[in-house]
Amino acid sequence: MASTPSKRALPSKESSLFKELLTFYETRQLKKGQKTADQILKKFPEHGETLCMKGLILTHMGKRDEGRELVKKGVRLDLTSHIVWHVFGLIQKGEKNYEEALKSYTQALRFDKENMNILRDAAHLQTQLRLYDGLVETRHLLLKLRPNLRQNWIGLAIAYHLNGNLTEVKRVLEQYERTLKNVPDYDVEQSELMLYHVRVLEDLGELSEALSLLDVNAKSRVIVDRVAIMETRARILSKQGPTEETEQSWRALIQHNPDCPDYYKGLLASKGIDLDNITDSNRAEALQILRDLSTQLPRADTPRRLALDVSIGDEFQELVRDYLLRGLKKGIPSLFVDVKTLYKDTPKWMTIEELVEGFRETQENGGSLDDPSIPSAHSSPPSTSHEAPTTYLWTLYFLAQHHSSRDNHFRALTLITTALTHTPTLPELLTFKGRILKRLGDPVEASVAVNEARLLDGQDRFLNTKAAKYKLRAGLIEDASDILGLFTKKDAPSPGADLEDMQSLLYLMEEGNAYRRKGRLHQALKKYHVVRKVFEEFEDDQYDFHGYSLRKSTLNIYLNLIAWEDNLWSHPAYVASAIAASQIYVKVHDDPSVSKDALSSGTSTEAEKKAKKKAKKAAQKIQEELKKAASTSTNEDKGLEVTPPKDEDPDGFKLLTDPEPLERAWKLLSPLPALVRNNIDVWIAVYDVAVRRGKYLQAVRALSNAKALDPEHAELHLRYLHFRKTYSALPSPLSGPVGAIVSNTLSSLLPSELSSDLYNSQYLQRHPADARAVFSAARGLHLLDHPKEEVEDMIFGVLNREAHLQLKVALEVLAFLQGIRSARAEEFRLACDQKFLLSSVFKNPAELALLQREGSPKEEQQEVIG
Amino acid sequence: MQACNLQTLPSENNPLHYYVHHMLTWPSLTYVAEDARGRIVGYVIARMVEDAAGAVYGHLRALSVLRSYRRLGLARKLVLQCQEAMRTTYRAAYVALNVRKTNRAAFGLYHDALGFAVHEARKQFYANGEDAYAMRFSFEP
Repeated sequence: MASTPSKRALPSKESSLFKELLTFYETRQLKKGQKTADQILKKFPEHGETLCMKGLILTHMGKRDEGRELVKKGVRLDLTSHIVWHVFGLIQKGEKNYEEALKSYTQALRFDKENMNILRDAAHLQTQLRLYDGLVETRHLLLKLRPNLRQNWIGLAIAYHLNGNLTEVKRVLEQYERTLKNVPDYDVEQSELMLYHVRVLEDLGELSEALSLLDVNAKSRVIVDRVAIMETRARILSKQGPTEETEQSWRALIQHNPDCPDYYKGLLASKGIDLDNITDSNRAEALQILRDLSTQLPRADTPRRLALDVSIGDEFQELVRDYLLRGLKKGIPSLFVDVKTLYKDTPKWMTIEELVEGFRETQENGGSLDDPSIPSAHSSPPSTSHEAPTTYLWTLYFLAQHHSSRDNHFRALTLITTALTHTPTLPELLTFKGRILKRLGDPVEASVAVNEARLLDGQDRFLNTKAAKYKLRAGLIEDASDILGLFTKKDAPSPGADLEDMQSLLYLMEEGNAYRRKGRLHQALKKYHVVRKVFEEFEDDQYDFHGYSLRKSTLNIYLNLIAWEDNLWSHPAYVASAIAASQIYVKVHDDPSVSKDALSSGTSTEAEKKAKKKAKKAAQKIQEELKKAASTSTNEDKGLEVTPPKDEDPDGFKLLTDPEPLERAWKLLSPLPALVRNNIDVWIAVYDVAVRRGKYLQAVRALSNAKALDPEHAELHLRYLHFRKTYSALPSPLSGPVGAIVSNTLSSLLPSELSSDLYNSQYLQRHPADARAVFSAARGLHLLDHPKEEVEDMIFGVLNREAHLQLKVALEVLAFLQGIRSARAEEFRLACDQKFLLSSVFKNPAELALLQREGSPKEEQQEVIG
Repeated sequence: MQACNLQTLPSENNPLHYYVHHMLTWPSLTYVAEDARGRIVGYVIARMVEDAAGAVYGHLRALSVLRSYRRLGLARKLVLQCQEAMRTTYRAAYVALNVRKTNRAAFGLYHDALGFAVHEARKQFYANGEDAYAMRFSFEP
């Protein structure tokens, strides 16, 4: 039904009512607005604009569904009104449906080209959606309409910047600055604007111009951010070349903040020295500079630490000795972590070991560490004064970390035990004991140790979090929740719910992984999906700033934010969650009975049932309150943001039984290929999903990308075989250019003259002593339909000494054997149990349950896989 | 920063938006401490406010250092940098903050190491009902 403009025009009475309606909306007098709308609609029930306004008001009052329906109706009845499209856009924007909102706004602009409100919202949407060409046009128009508004100039400049046109940015800024009559000093917004202008010149390579603009405005106090001035200055001068002035600029920064390593790097660069690539010819000079600064700035740790990177031999020994002594005497917990980065240099870690072992011996013989004539472990004359007992403690702690890092876990344990006898009340000793046990493969005992640490200081949230994390690693999920609950909000439905609200990626990933290890794949999937949701929130967070930052003029950091957001999905937590979730979906696709097993394993324990009840009650309460708030006839403005609906699938059953698991998996993985090029696990995950979705081009490209990173990677090897097998089994080969690319790429990955069997055995021959490779070759045999016994025989090769089997791999092998229902799975498990003596992960389920019960106050029968 | 906050502070936890808002409004007031791998192990967040008398002051919103990085003087260094920015960028008259009455370590840092004075006591200031000391450091000589 076409609507004609004549239907839009109202007689004078209703027309003024409509004006009132708009005012009521703007002032958020929602009830009055609704009444007024109804008055108009009584006489003109099909007045599109009124229907839309009423719908908008209802949405604000919390009646989203009704409101939305009215708005849609209103739009249909008056397709050429800018008001209806504007309202529709507002609704969609509130639902975070930015693409659709922009479409609506674009429609609105067709009928009211110069509406400032609509233009501004459209600009924000275009920025969010990264549609920079459109953004430039919109900003141009806004500036043309109101050239006396500073934001409009800034908006245009930023639009050009985002669109990659720095020359235009410069032009706009210069034009704007010419309009300024009195440039205020000490105005922070003006300061930020000028700093932005300087940065633009710098990025354009116009370094002298940038520098003089900076200096002039710094002097006249237009730019007031001292640190920014100094940093910008130093950076520009460095780009111009290493001179005396450059050197002084870095020295000034160091005086201001002696603890920023970048400043030292800059200083050395200004003297032609690359801190990351010291040569024998510049070592002495670098060291002298650092030594001098260390003397001048006694409270600064950075120059002394950098000197350790730079020095070698005897000088290194002298410097590191002082550094370590100071740290041990002071009792600095992070001392080892600090010097650990030196360990890639063998002489250095050996020197450190010798020194600290020497310290230990001296103290055990009752001596003090102030005697400068004590260089090594082999000469320690007892002296008269004693060292403070705490120094000994921190010495043992350091040595334990040192030896554990070199895989001498037993020695490390002994040291920690000695330290604990000395001082049972230092939590750090227990947390480290936990870490050693973790490395030895006993997560249950590890969690006991860390929990003991926690009990030493119940007020410390760090210890609380660590203890919870270790419980999760040990599969003691309920215990972890109880521990976390000591610090989470008391009125939250559960500790997990609060941590979800607080966007705790650590918690979500650890709990997701814990569920996955236990085979509760639905719950694991749920957590991984929450991670996705958190990142969607992170992505949405920038929206407000598209307008805000223009007003505040904080442009440099705004642009940093946009750049950060552009890379958001490459965050390690997101990548890990997407890969883990996709692996579950692939499993379910390959074997739908997996989801049946998971769902049956999900029957909760008594305590879990109780916790669930409590959470359900709390959630119900919240829903009731929401409903109450919605139904009370107040004027309360709920805004246009959608309140999150009740969670219909708290345990992830629906996720796991989704009819299209591969589509779900691809949705999670899709941001990754563009942003994460160097992670082979990403390419493998992309392959696994693509090949099953029949996207052979994507699959084979993923393999190519993986090959470029590590052609002999064990998982990749298996995929070569998998792809050839899958591709050959296609009923008819792929046609056209796609088919050609696919088969050509396949040949480049796996030479067509080599049979898969031959390729597989050659791979094994290339890596006979690599457990992962052996495992991969064995899986290859399985894929190529060799008899089970042959597969098993090959697999047992990983137990050979030369293969250096790691715990993680052993677990995967065991899972594989169990997965193919091998008769020798149990044999393998026992062998691993023997091999990894201090580990508990190879105990059979009954034994493990016993250990867990001992390690946990209340955990009941838990199902454990592997 | 958010992760550091969750592992350290008992109740003043916030979603990401909070941190972004502060950084994008008062960029020169945020400082972080990083380990060798660039991970954040401590931070300070602040904002500028105008008080009832019209004076501009800096409000130290949050300060947090991971337990495993104590004894390095990081908290003190973070506050000093932040304070200096308040003084020079914003010409703040003073710095204000709130600290839990029971938090002896924090109180010691502010009072002894940094020279803050107690301005007044605030009953039931925190979400969990705890009292606070409102402290101030004046830039005027």
